Amino acid sequence: MVNLDDLKKEAKRILQDDKVKYVVGYTRSSAGPLASPVFIEDPEKIGELIWDASCVQNLAKFLLDEKRRKGRAKKPDTRPIAIVVKGCDSRSVNVLLQEKYIERKDVFLLGVSCEDLGVVDQKKIAQRFEGKTIQDIKFDLSPELAVTTEDGTVKLPIQEVLADRCLECQANFPVVYDVLLGDKSRKKVDEPFGSLEEIESMAAPQRWEFWQEQLGKCVRCYACRSACPMCYCDECVVDTIAFAVAADTSAEEKAQKIKWIEKSPTKSENFGYHMVRAIHLAGRCIDCGECERVCPVSIPLRHLNKKLEKAAKQLFDYNAGFEPDKPALVSSFRDEDPEDFIR
Amino acid sequence: MDMILQKKSLAPWLERLEGYDIYAPVRQDDIWNYAHVTDGRDIDLGYPNTVQSPKPIIFPQCETILEFSASEDGTPVMREVIPEPNPFVVLGMRPCDARALTLYDKVFGGDIKDPYYWKRREKGILVGLACTVPPSPNCFCPTVDGSPCSTDGLDILLTDLEDRYYVESLTKKGENLLNDAKTLFKAPTAAENKAAARIKSESEKKINRQVRQLAEVPPKLAGMFDASLWDEEAMSCLRCGICTYLCPTCHCFDIADELSSSSPLKGRRIRNWDTCQFPDFTMHSSGHNPRPDKASRLRQRILHKFHYFVVNHEAYQCTGCGRCISLCPVGIDIIEVLDKVRDYA
Repeated sequence: MVNLDDLKKEAKRILQDDKVKYVVGYTRSSAGPLASPVFIEDPEKIGELIWDASCVQNLAKFLLDEKRRKGRAKKPDTRPIAIVVKGCDSRSVNVLLQEKYIERKDVFLLGVSCEDLGVVDQKKIAQRFEGKTIQDIKFDLSPELAVTTEDGTVKLPIQEVLADRCLECQANFPVVYDVLLGDKSRKKVDEPFGSLEEIESMAAPQRWEFWQEQLGKCVRCYACRSACPMCYCDECVVDTIAFAVAADTSAEEKAQKIKWIEKSPTKSENFGYHMVRAIHLAGRCIDCGECERVCPVSIPLRHLNKKLEKAAKQLFDYNAGFEPDKPALVSSFRDEDPEDFIR
Repeated sequence: MDMILQKKSLAPWLERLEGYDIYAPVRQDDIWNYAHVTDGRDIDLGYPNTVQSPKPIIFPQCETILEFSASEDGTPVMREVIPEPNPFVVLGMRPCDARALTLYDKVFGGDIKDPYYWKRREKGILVGLACTVPPSPNCFCPTVDGSPCSTDGLDILLTDLEDRYYVESLTKKGENLLNDAKTLFKAPTAAENKAAARIKSESEKKINRQVRQLAEVPPKLAGMFDASLWDEEAMSCLRCGICTYLCPTCHCFDIADELSSSSPLKGRRIRNWDTCQFPDFTMHSSGHNPRPDKASRLRQRILHKFHYFVVNHEAYQCTGCGRCISLCPVGIDIIEVLDKVRDYA
């Protein structure tokens, strides 16, 4: 079991020793039952930290902000920042290291093990209490939750409302860390790609229809891209200014810019966006599932990424985020790589 | 004119509304949203809150404003496209979302009237549903001068009396809609009048969230452009568009030309929603961005809603629906931000 006091102690120590600029962790939120990211510079404020099944966000995303901030500063503060990482989040740090987006000295990793649980899916909890307004959820009774509605408080095993990503988890404890809290025994997952069964069983026309409907809902808020630690491009194909414009970029260069995807949220453009994103995540996505969680219109985005994760595993025996010193899947070649799909 | 409609008469009433398109909350994949409904029996007004307000019915996310093509001699030909919607009814609209339209009226009205907006706005009859229970734990409409049974912007307001609705027609349009199906409605009894009044007076007390002394915020904001608060509050922001795209009062858009063919030339000029939360919203063609970071973008969202709009239109540009709070991936809470602004030293 992760002892929250130990986490606070470690976080406080590195702040007091001036080892890190600030600590990014989780705290209780006024916005709802799920945790919010918190940024702590003052060691005296370390009491704000929490750790429980509401800590859904992948805080590795904030390594991207920090890199941008350093890039903008005239005299950047080069001290590392500390982030609290779950197993999945630590895999995304590994991918960032592998791709040389960050260096290991840029980050201090406060690893926390999910042990045999994980994080909750708020929608699953809502389904359990259909028609009721959930007033409060207490997470500190692990392995149970206490959910309060107008009818009173009910206890519920966290196991029953775990996020799908946790049911298919391949790293229930961090694979890279500076400090590790909690148990390091592997959780057994029977069906790492079980969630794909239904969609894989559909005939192609049916699958096409399914995605037409799902991606037709997209409002292009780009929350999926925004929450993803692997989406770190300075220029994204969907943005209206999709290349880095500088003061010396000529008018001609701007005029010649190809508009790959229009801004209009039509089905074809939405497809363009989501397919580009999925392909760019092939062999990189570590299934933190944040894209799907943050989607306000419930598009099952994990299906796309999971399918590519499965392809990487089956075709190349590759699992993203475990071996940062080895070449990345899409930038390496072996003679024995399968090529029967190249036509 | 106040009437009573039995719940079982809701579908028959809608069937009588020939010639109207009907929009109502519909559930799909665990979320509720407004959709065009063809069978009145599909309607369930016991929904919590829709993810999106009904704003796209009147202000669609993507709208063609003109079409262009090349004529035979190569000169471009342009054709203005003005929407000609059917008359429509929005059923079950929450009072906050209806009030949001009264704010849009200020933005799209004034000296220059936006034809695309008004063509739809004028064809719509808005049937509201009083919130006897707050549809979201983050509801805070009373703070921003609203109420769970506000009639602002509505043509009819329904109040749920268990097996029946208390029906208030508030405008001529609303009255006509009831007259079209007169036999389904009856006059309320004294007990029903009393029950409706009681439910309404209790509804506000069920709202848990508020910003104290919000009136202090707009003048305070005037001097907070360079405050360090924005950096702190925006630290966790992910730069997505949820808070603004799902806001019933946000109305910014971008105009672009989209080609369906470059030779021969054919395409359309469209306007799409845009948001101050995207980095390219204020990007100049020189590459300079006057709002270069997320702190400046969060500041813009708050200043627009609680300072600029108040100066220009004498109203908060927020109706307290709570969507931006509940749906923010990192829990940025506008109530908390406003509290901090008020207390900022």
